Amino acid sequence: MAGSDGTAGGAGGAAEAAREIAAAGDALAGSRTPWLFGVRHHSPVCAAALPPLLERLAPAAVAVELPEDLERWIPWLGHPAAEAPLAVAGVSARGEELGFYPFADFSPELVAIRWALARGVPVHAIDLPMARSTGRRRGRGGRALGIAHRIERQLGGGDSWERLVEAPAIGGEPERVRRAALLYGWALRLDAARGDGVDDEDRAREAYMRGRLARLGAYPARDAAGAGPIAAIVGAFHAPALLAEPALWSPPARVGGPPVELVSSLIPYAFELLDERSGYPAGIRDPAWQQRLWETLARGGDLGGLTAACLVEITREIRSRGLPASVPDAHAAAALAGSLASLRRLAAPGRRELVEAAQSALAHGELLGRGRIVARAMEQVLVGRRRGELAPGTPRSGLGPHVAALFDELRLPHAEMEEPVEVRLDPLRSPLDRRRHVALCRMRACGISYGMQFQAAAAGDVEALTTVWRLWFTPAVEAMIERAGLRGVTLRQAAAGSLRAEAARLAAEDRLGALALLGLTEAGAEAGAGDLVREWLAELTGPRLAESTLIGLIALIALIDRIAAGHIVGLPADPAAALPGEIDVFEPPPIDRALVLGAAVASILGLAGSESVDDARSLAELVRVLERPEHAGLGEGRLWWSIDQLAQAGTPLISGAAAVVQVLIGARPAEALSAAIGAWFDGATSLPGRRVLARRLHGAIAVAGPLLEAAPVFLGGLCERVERVADADFLPRAPALREGFEALSTASRRRLLRVLGDRLGEGDARGLGLDVSLAVAPAVLLAAAEADRAGRAAIERIPRPIAAPLPAAAIPAAAPAAAAPAAAAAPATTHAISVRDRWRLILGHEREAMQPQARVAARALDELYGHGHGEGSRASLGPGGAGGPGGPGGPGAGYPTVREWRKDVEALFGKELYEEVAAKAAGQGRGAALLALPPDALTPSVELLEQVLSLRGGLGEAQLGRLRKIVRRIVDELVRELAIRVRPALHGALGARATRRPTGALHLPRTIAANLARVRVERGAVRLLPERLIWRARSRRHLDWHVVLVVDVSASMEASVIHSAMMAAILSAVPWLDVRFVAFSTEIIDLSEHAGDPLALLLEISVGGGTHIAQALRYVRDLVQVPRRTIAIVVSDFEEGHSIDSLVGEVRSLVESGVTCLGLAALDERAAPRYAVPIAEQVAAAGMPVAALTPVDLARWIGERIR
Amino acid sequence: MSRKKPEAEVAAAEVVQAPPPEQVYADELALLARWDDGPRPPSWKLTPRAVVTFIVGSGGERLRAGGAARVISEKFVGERGLVERCVVTLAGERGLLLVGEPGTAKTMLSELLGAAISGDSSLVVQGTAGTSEEHLRYGWNYSLLIAKGPHTEALVPSPILAAMRRGAIARVEEITRCLPEVQDALVSILSDRRLAVPELGALEPARRGFNVIATANLRDKGVSEMSAALKRRFNFETVPPIADLARETELVRRRAAQIVAEAGAPLAVDEAVLEALVTVFRDLRLGRTAEGWPVERPSSVMSTAEAVAVASSLGLAATYFPGGRDVAHLLPEYLLGVVMKDEPRDRGKLLAYWDASVKRRAEGDEPPWQVLHELRRVLE
Repeated sequence: MAGSDGTAGGAGGAAEAAREIAAAGDALAGSRTPWLFGVRHHSPVCAAALPPLLERLAPAAVAVELPEDLERWIPWLGHPAAEAPLAVAGVSARGEELGFYPFADFSPELVAIRWALARGVPVHAIDLPMARSTGRRRGRGGRALGIAHRIERQLGGGDSWERLVEAPAIGGEPERVRRAALLYGWALRLDAARGDGVDDEDRAREAYMRGRLARLGAYPARDAAGAGPIAAIVGAFHAPALLAEPALWSPPARVGGPPVELVSSLIPYAFELLDERSGYPAGIRDPAWQQRLWETLARGGDLGGLTAACLVEITREIRSRGLPASVPDAHAAAALAGSLASLRRLAAPGRRELVEAAQSALAHGELLGRGRIVARAMEQVLVGRRRGELAPGTPRSGLGPHVAALFDELRLPHAEMEEPVEVRLDPLRSPLDRRRHVALCRMRACGISYGMQFQAAAAGDVEALTTVWRLWFTPAVEAMIERAGLRGVTLRQAAAGSLRAEAARLAAEDRLGALALLGLTEAGAEAGAGDLVREWLAELTGPRLAESTLIGLIALIALIDRIAAGHIVGLPADPAAALPGEIDVFEPPPIDRALVLGAAVASILGLAGSESVDDARSLAELVRVLERPEHAGLGEGRLWWSIDQLAQAGTPLISGAAAVVQVLIGARPAEALSAAIGAWFDGATSLPGRRVLARRLHGAIAVAGPLLEAAPVFLGGLCERVERVADADFLPRAPALREGFEALSTASRRRLLRVLGDRLGEGDARGLGLDVSLAVAPAVLLAAAEADRAGRAAIERIPRPIAAPLPAAAIPAAAPAAAAPAAAAAPATTHAISVRDRWRLILGHEREAMQPQARVAARALDELYGHGHGEGSRASLGPGGAGGPGGPGGPGAGYPTVREWRKDVEALFGKELYEEVAAKAAGQGRGAALLALPPDALTPSVELLEQVLSLRGGLGEAQLGRLRKIVRRIVDELVRELAIRVRPALHGALGARATRRPTGALHLPRTIAANLARVRVERGAVRLLPERLIWRARSRRHLDWHVVLVVDVSASMEASVIHSAMMAAILSAVPWLDVRFVAFSTEIIDLSEHAGDPLALLLEISVGGGTHIAQALRYVRDLVQVPRRTIAIVVSDFEEGHSIDSLVGEVRSLVESGVTCLGLAALDERAAPRYAVPIAEQVAAAGMPVAALTPVDLARWIGERIR
Repeated sequence: MSRKKPEAEVAAAEVVQAPPPEQVYADELALLARWDDGPRPPSWKLTPRAVVTFIVGSGGERLRAGGAARVISEKFVGERGLVERCVVTLAGERGLLLVGEPGTAKTMLSELLGAAISGDSSLVVQGTAGTSEEHLRYGWNYSLLIAKGPHTEALVPSPILAAMRRGAIARVEEITRCLPEVQDALVSILSDRRLAVPELGALEPARRGFNVIATANLRDKGVSEMSAALKRRFNFETVPPIADLARETELVRRRAAQIVAEAGAPLAVDEAVLEALVTVFRDLRLGRTAEGWPVERPSSVMSTAEAVAVASSLGLAATYFPGGRDVAHLLPEYLLGVVMKDEPRDRGKLLAYWDASVKRRAEGDEPPWQVLHELRRVLE
């Protein structure tokens, strides 16, 4: 260390230290060669103190710490017509960011520039030219002595500049402000110098500044008489190094690196970008507060008044977000801030006191909910939205010219075009295309509608290699580029800035959910915004983890994996693919995948009530991602336990899927599953049983998918039964099996059929209907068949009370085909349909090859399912495939009328089955099938009702009338059934209270009980001579309870919606309950007037749209009249599409007002919920318990509350 | 060592259990009263600055006043700003509500504030479901009431009324455990700063300096919500849980030992087991282990107080059923009891914790964790 650092090691006690400090202060503040003002680059106090000091000093020239090559912007920066905030940005010609200098009214440098320009005093930029800077500006890190750290700890944390210079200096003498700031910088410098030494980069810059100052004549020889002092406005840290005798400084090894080509721009800036937390460089906390502080100081106004004004605005902001906060609250907060300031010996409360007071007095000790809303209100008031404006005539710079140059280089059109052009890019292989692709993604991220990307079709899970874009440069594009120029001077900067702005906008509108942030992150990745991606991934895998749904988490994992694999064009992993400055190599951040997966595992149980195949698939997807050795520590126990729970308690679909997943993770042997599937088959003896079979199989097969084609091991049990059972047992189950296998794509089913053919021991699966399960000689079989027939004939002769209806007998033209060998010739009554045909029937293929009676069944089913979906569904089905183009209308197929179809289905599969089939058909858009049902003969069920209701949309008036009849019948029946079970649970509410006051209705039991002592028995007759009469109290209106059902009608809540409507009707019938019914998605419909009429309710509700629970709760809050006697029941899946904070806030304020709240993740007979577990947990923590209940449980719960 | 000490010896050793802070720190309070002669809010024994110093300590510095000099000890570990805000609030016109999870030294902080400001921390009402308005306002000495009729002498003031008369700080512990109707009795006291006694046709005004410190834990179940009207009369300060494992372990050990001592036995729970217990509680409370592994938080409150309960149960088990297995074997069952109190589903979360964190630690050759990991089946 050089001699000027020679103060090291002095431990001469406090007095000596004080002397040293005073000496340093005198040296710094006393210097005239040059006159120094050490600042922080944004500082209202310094900005306000500077003009009077300059006025008194009357310097010959002003020097500011700004790179010399930016000097040309100084006149435009300080132009009287320009409005701050403005920013000067420098990038290399290649696009690397070199530096960024934002200026606001409270920036001392800008104040100095304005002062000097107004008086004609020359202004010089003296810092090292940006083009020669040797590296990005770094924080003053390193291992220092820890003075700064100790200062901060002593003060209890926080910003030490603000605490030591800013706050105490408020209202102080300008000269004292200057001295305090200089000393602060000296202390930091001392810390650095005695620790690791001052950074090389800093010393190089200081050397350069010294050189510049010398040339300006700031260091005159002792005898020379200068014209006037030079005023240097520099960072406080640098001030000691610029003294004529530099302190704590030693010359650097070299000054500056080799120059690069610099492109600098002056751009308008905005307060939300200036805020330190916005992620933009060189910002400050709460710029709007700083601005107002500066204005007040410059005016000499009342600072206490400023704090109070801010607090009043904050309370107003809180109110506008729907929470109570009043003038007394603002008053109390202001008083607190004032007292804190005086306790801390400050002249006036500063930012810290303001923030503390707002938190204490307004947030009510809540971290979530109200607390976050207060935080947002503070942000609104303290950050502000002020925007800068350039002076007219400022040279055009920034994004526009940059884009023009870049597009020239990339040979992308950037002049107005008549019509769009299409380009195909191959970004992963061609470097030029990579640059083009990233540039287009960045334009998109900026919100500039220049290129539109078409998703190139990709087969399977493979990512498409080429991208197709449609480009169109319109005048609007030009305007949009200008607007995006606010966010940066290069496309890369502007893209990142625009994405940040979008995030901030969504956050301000309460819509920045985890899913939205994930979408932005993906856009950021495409646009090559590495820092942004790093930051957001950290947020997504950190604090946001608690509000992500399973599907979001899986998408997050997928994104992380794609980034890690270098598959994202904008974030190459390979240095060879990168182009420094434009497309940088991306070092994926260390992300704990286990953390994300852990969260995913934790929300598995939320799928229990799902009816969606996508959810089943995401379960399998999760398990697939988990299958990595490094996740062994994640806890098999939890996963196994959760999946086991799903298998036991989930909906049939999910439990089927979970059963397969159990095999995949090795929690269960395949044989056990095979046996279980067999048992599902056996259990499907009734209509509900068959429905369960269909869904379970559907879920299982959806998950097993490709695995099934390769090795249908766990179909063993099913195969065995399909082979074994009689037609009478098989046919009724056939539609359920068919539905189960519909989970597979058409082609996949065909492959499975082939595989099963192999299993049946036949080489060519397309062969005709050989029942090859016969390993025994035909002659033996024939004998056995003869014996069977004899036995059967014998049984036939025994009189039986009920003749079993054999559907097979109804098959028209039951004559076996001549070509059929012995097996087919076996009695048509039991095994008329061969095993192969059975599988063809189940899998929906090769109808042509079937024998006639099976073909009839196949035709009936094909009418329903058509050609299936996915791979192979559109193409011709190939040789032997059933039907041709045209679906159900193919060769030999098609029913002219629904009636005929219905006749066939009923004959083949049984009468009750038609309802199911028809409901299914209705689900697939063929409502006529359902409307053909006679309303009186229906078996009412919620599933059927769901289907019927889904038809409402595209029906004519006549059909609608029919539909209404059907719905009425089903609803009436269901409500009656439900009411019988539910009423007893509400019994306490119905029972009238007893009273002595005569009301006209005698309470006989109580009267007798009260007068037992006055019973006379005269001649065997019992007479009661009552003394006291007890009456039934009339229900008193003001004692009513209000029940508000708040029902989510966004897509996924069908069964719960139906049950809610029915519950509303049942509850409405209770005299003491006033029932209100509010349906919501992103909109709110108050259907209270129909609360007693489920038919009207169900017909009014239209399902669909997003979920905005907070808004619905806000509506409910207005509805509530007597909070203590109000029960709000929210039926929702809690997949809130808006901010969780305001949801939690609404819940809290509802709970606080005294309303009894209950969240229902599911309201149906199974009470298996499908919901977003993490969000529900936060809601529950806010005071609204979340449960899944059956209607009876709900009634019981309500009964307990109101009794 | 003999288990039983002669009665007299015990009595001599400690006269009072848990003496109030104004008694324990009488010397410091006396010194601080002379140390800072700045302006005091009416009826305050110390200046606000001296109150803050009393609570957070003088940082090792010897304070001098009136010929005496001493170091003020640190009594509350936490952010200085928090204490400053508490003190400033008490000098103002709103009450102070300390919220936080159980076992975060809220009560101690409120006692210290009461002792430093009014020299009396005993003006306290304990909030329970059975607390009635009388406890917050005033009651009657019924024999006097019948004998003399409604008369000032027959009125029994509540601690709050007593504090109002003296201009002192009153404390209400666990305010959210009171029924909402009872809590609301405070609304008029805090806003009007006087108490009407309609029976006497009198108004009891509060002397200047009177204020209320209430404590509450907002996360506990079985508590009543506070009304918005009452909330508006308080400034809220959140007291964070104890940040340091060693400190919390020490606290749990001390309290558990106290409870077990009442059964006449020393706490025979191994230090390592105790630390493991506290670690488990902290992990589940914070949702993250000390090593940084994520943990799913169960819905029950994993408070220090619960940890004390489990530790003392373990201690009692070791006392009454000695010679059995290592008490660590009982830990998972107790833990399950604590975690599953509210929500059976939390069993899954505990299992996940066992499979991830406990397993990793067991692999790291730490004896209590190995035992715990072996006991996983207890949780299933």
